[in-house]
Amino acid sequence: MSRLLKFLLLLAGIAAVIYMAAPSKPKESTLEKIKKRGYLLWGSDAEGGAPYAFPNPKNPSKLVGFEVDLAGAIARELGVKKAVQSQNAWDSLIPALERGDFDFAMNGIEITKKRMEHVLFSAPYYVYTEQLVVRRDDSSIKSVADLKGKKVGTLSGTVAQDILMGMRGVNVRIYSGQVEPYQDLALGRLDAVLLDLPIAAYYARPNPALKFAGPPVGEGLYAIAIRKNDTELKKRLDEILAKLYRTGELKRIYEKWGLWNSKQDKLAAFFKNSGAETLDESRSAPIKNFFPMLLKGAGVTVLISVSSMALAITLGLMLTLLRLYAGPPFDWLATGYIEIYRGTPLLIQLYILYYGLPNIGISLNPVMAAFLGLGMNYAAYESELYRAGINAVPFGQMEAALSLGMKRGLALKRVILPQAVKIALPGITNDFIALFKDSSLVSVIAMVELTKTYSMLAASTLRFFQLGIITALLYFGMSYPLSLLARRLEKKLKKDRR
Amino acid sequence: MINVRDLHKSYGANRLFEGVSFQVEKGEAVVLIGPSGSGKSTVLRCINGLETFDSGEITVAGIGLHSINRKRPMKEDAETIRRVRLKLGMVFQQFNLFPHMTVLQNVTEAPIRVLGMGRAEAIAQARDFLKKINLEGKAESYPAQLSGGEQQRVAIARALAMRPEAMLFDEPTSSLDPEMAGEVLSVIRKLVDEGMTTMIATHEMGFASEVAGRVIVFDKGSIIETGPPSQIFTSPKVLRTREFLNRVLGRF
Repeated sequence: MSRLLKFLLLLAGIAAVIYMAAPSKPKESTLEKIKKRGYLLWGSDAEGGAPYAFPNPKNPSKLVGFEVDLAGAIARELGVKKAVQSQNAWDSLIPALERGDFDFAMNGIEITKKRMEHVLFSAPYYVYTEQLVVRRDDSSIKSVADLKGKKVGTLSGTVAQDILMGMRGVNVRIYSGQVEPYQDLALGRLDAVLLDLPIAAYYARPNPALKFAGPPVGEGLYAIAIRKNDTELKKRLDEILAKLYRTGELKRIYEKWGLWNSKQDKLAAFFKNSGAETLDESRSAPIKNFFPMLLKGAGVTVLISVSSMALAITLGLMLTLLRLYAGPPFDWLATGYIEIYRGTPLLIQLYILYYGLPNIGISLNPVMAAFLGLGMNYAAYESELYRAGINAVPFGQMEAALSLGMKRGLALKRVILPQAVKIALPGITNDFIALFKDSSLVSVIAMVELTKTYSMLAASTLRFFQLGIITALLYFGMSYPLSLLARRLEKKLKKDRR
Repeated sequence: MINVRDLHKSYGANRLFEGVSFQVEKGEAVVLIGPSGSGKSTVLRCINGLETFDSGEITVAGIGLHSINRKRPMKEDAETIRRVRLKLGMVFQQFNLFPHMTVLQNVTEAPIRVLGMGRAEAIAQARDFLKKINLEGKAESYPAQLSGGEQQRVAIARALAMRPEAMLFDEPTSSLDPEMAGEVLSVIRKLVDEGMTTMIATHEMGFASEVAGRVIVFDKGSIIETGPPSQIFTSPKVLRTREFLNRVLGRF
């Protein structure tokens, strides 16, 4: 089976290309890299939302937020043109920073001992407190001390979570987005929410069903997270933050966002008339403002789905051929691959590819990780479809081909596979549609595709319903023509069977 | 041309062949008869390398298939089997035409891909063969659009297109009704008349007696009698031959 050997060589080639495509370890300092690149690249999670960094409801392709303003000021002080945000899930900002995805991370990251083991922190740029929020009609909870036996929501990985976990008898519910806890609170699924004041100020204050309970607690500091070896960058950032503080620019930014002197509720007056985006404004922005971003997300979804399906189809075919014809040990290697990929969740596979591999020195960019993750997973399923198709071709077909003097490979290519593909085709198109929707999972590895775009926009505007319907329609509008096309193809291929 | 010597084969405890030997000369037409499961089909499949055997020797046009016919043949062995197959044309009970190809493609596929024949030449040759079997009008049809008899005739043309030195027919009319069987048998008869070396496993006793140069009678994995049809069908020497013919022909 020299053909199989070629397949294996091809596989090795693909692996080599991928390895080379992976970003290499930084050799020059980050500061030099920023200068050379001409702009600053900072990591944050726009889905984490307002008021830190979130899509502007009036022009959703632009990010706004107090950290966006701050990043802009830092870029200017560093002497580069602009600051560009690099999207990454909040709870994996630190690993992404360590991988070298961006220059630094700034996204309401609290200084904690645990984090200091992994990163350097700049001088703090904001003193935050934790604010307890309850339903307006609830008078039983007046402060954090009344939380015993109550259901309290907070964000995963925050200091608020640590505070709640440290209290006895509190039923803590962990969320990964900052909108959902307040929604569940308003709906009565929670009794209280404890979160950073900036979050409470943006999401809870405008909600008439909710109120602040008691004074802020648990003072802490937000700072910029920097890679351990970037001491030079840290020094520079500290100088810049000190300058911004001295000149009053920092204060102006916070005042614009209603965050200055944030321990005091009365500062809400700034929040109203600051010229910053407020939740009320986001809620009333015309829905068409969001289309360009959603369409861009849809484009990414199509790109990822089509390319990973192409990988799944070719890799799946190789696996089938190895399994059926290559003999040991290739057949059981292929079988093992198929069983492992079918028997473990795609989500775990994506996490391992993107966050796990850097631990052993292989760092894939998000596009490559998404392409490989989806493609390698679906290859296992495609392979099983091919195998079923090949087994459904009568054995006499192979015998007839062999008795005509064909070699096995030629018989497969010319006689068996064309018939097997026809049998497998409905399953393959079905899988393509499934993969198309499964591509939403790659949002966990920092790919901003359609679903991620939706959740980012929805989190900052709270328009889950309208935007959700539009997003679902976009998915349907893309997958339905696909099923129609598949049906036509099947009909066409069936002709000769009549 | 085809030489089978002391063939043994068993499936577990079930003995398929117990020392089968015979020889087929160039230009000879040998018909294999016998009850179902007697081994007449299997011996054809062994000759063509589609079945393995445990011991014994098969030689086709000087190429030996004795020690190599194992479950997973090595590369050279697979090539030996293929060289044997190139000498032989095989026709199956179930036709086994390629359903995704037209009649013409079925007949030109192997000459082009295996023999490296030019497309134009292969097509011209295929049209000649189709003419010979009275199916030149069906060149562009798909197998599913043909009757069983027509499909089997195309299968014969497909095998002939590889210019084999001998043809093996494995119960070529068993899945056809009598009328269609007639069309197929007349094509085979024509081949025999032209001097093609032929082995036919069949239940068609009338056809066998008419076309065979020699008849070999199989029973339970052994050859129980062999001789010219005039002798086998009129005065068989062996009791089991007589019983078998009695059953299928309802006489003696």
